[in-house]
Amino acid sequence: MWTGRGKTAIVGVGYSALTRHAQRPLGLLAVEACRAALADAGLQPAQIDGLATYPEAPFLGAGNRDGEDIVSVAYLINHLPLAPDIRWYAQIETGMIASPVIESVHALLAEACTYVLVWRALHQPRGRYGAWTSTRAAGEAQFVAPYGCTAIFQWHAMAWQRYMHRYGATREHLATFVVNSRRNANRNPRAFFYTTPLTREDYLAARWIAEPLCLFDCDIPVEGCVALVLTTAERARDLRNLPAYIAGYGQNTSRRRALLHYALDDYMECGGSLARKLWSSSGLGPQDMDAAQLYDGFSPSALYWLEAAGFCPQGEAYAFIQDGRIALEGELPVNTFGGSLGEGRLHGMGHIAEAVFQVTGRAEGRQVPGAAAVCAIDGSPMLRGSGVVVTKDP
Amino acid sequence: MADPCTRPLPVADDLSRPFWEAAKQHRLVVQRCQTCGYFNHPPRSACDVCLSQHLQFEPVSGRGTIYSFTVMHQPTVAGFAEQIPYLNILVELEEQPLLFMVSNLPFEEREKVRIGAPVVVYFEEVDAALTLPQFRVV
Repeated sequence: MWTGRGKTAIVGVGYSALTRHAQRPLGLLAVEACRAALADAGLQPAQIDGLATYPEAPFLGAGNRDGEDIVSVAYLINHLPLAPDIRWYAQIETGMIASPVIESVHALLAEACTYVLVWRALHQPRGRYGAWTSTRAAGEAQFVAPYGCTAIFQWHAMAWQRYMHRYGATREHLATFVVNSRRNANRNPRAFFYTTPLTREDYLAARWIAEPLCLFDCDIPVEGCVALVLTTAERARDLRNLPAYIAGYGQNTSRRRALLHYALDDYMECGGSLARKLWSSSGLGPQDMDAAQLYDGFSPSALYWLEAAGFCPQGEAYAFIQDGRIALEGELPVNTFGGSLGEGRLHGMGHIAEAVFQVTGRAEGRQVPGAAAVCAIDGSPMLRGSGVVVTKDP
Repeated sequence: MADPCTRPLPVADDLSRPFWEAAKQHRLVVQRCQTCGYFNHPPRSACDVCLSQHLQFEPVSGRGTIYSFTVMHQPTVAGFAEQIPYLNILVELEEQPLLFMVSNLPFEEREKVRIGAPVVVYFEEVDAALTLPQFRVV
């Protein structure tokens, strides 16, 4: 077991508004979310002496203007009245958003700083999402763009097609996951789809994006920001919220074998590389989780995680999710806040925030009774990812 | 197939030029490490397995199987808006596991496309300067 287990905690969570097209620049949304997280923790900006983010733009070619397309560490140093001497910061582009949380834990354990702000800001460029507009394709794109195959959802569609073929899963199986996520989003006032229900019939009638993925298999891109405040367990006890202790973490470290993008075949090994560390560091296992927040940028990714993290055997997630097992009242509630499919595309930050709300008893109408340990895992397992386990007790 | 005037055209570079030159002669070649034998595609400056710089393009059989496929319905890629829905197949070449190439097929081929189906390369002459390796179901 990891010696750092339970020695740090998430003590504040803040959201900006989540909308399709914000009227304010991304930088201001990030400032709003950070101020909300500080208020939630009962701290002043001047107490923040550590900063970390995962600043990457939502997709390749989406722009990198600071405060417009991304929000860097430098932006917040310049636009929030933080501690006069920032003692530690990091911009992490490995793993996903749990990775800056993990590095913040390291910084706190090393006593490099006392209170850390972590944020993830996502904008939505105007025009068609992820469009390939160039008539020339250089670099690795020269082997896919001339064939009309550049969109990440096409690669996810091919991975899911292979999964369906290999294990006998169908759209009807996947519908259960998406409808359950929407049902949970309907209990989450922050969710983009809070007031919009989705039935199985709606799902099965939805237009295709790239077969076998339809519109509702893709998360809903939003503009907005989520921020977290972390500190040591000792300091956490003096603050206004119950702390969500960081019990353990893992990052995807396995080598993927396919050079041209990624292949379904790698999901168990790559995802497993994260999960093994998640469980060994926390001293907990899948059977100890009271809920699981699993990345769902495209709905099948959450099913791959159920298998790669050991919640069910390989090839069985599509069957495991049936019969109410992953519902709020089920034996393993999954994506209790609606996931990226229902709350909005925050690249896994919503998953961490929800894990915190659940173990601190703050999940309101979607609270899992007595939730004491919840994991949040981001990324698609055959590609990358990072995850944390948070617990009610240190 | 896509409109040759607007589909994204590959920009050959020092690494990829032999691939496109060979395609023009209707030959499919893949960069192979001369030290460990690994096929690297897309081509690399150093072998992805052993880091050797002793790399050469070698002819491959042009045979493989469909690893997976998708029917694309979004006008996401420039030059393909008029083609939707169209098929993309991910071909696993017989020379090495997970050695992939992409191909596009008209939607009319949908019934022939199955995971594991054998495919063979053919060459689509887009214009005088560009020939694209493509795959069809055998």
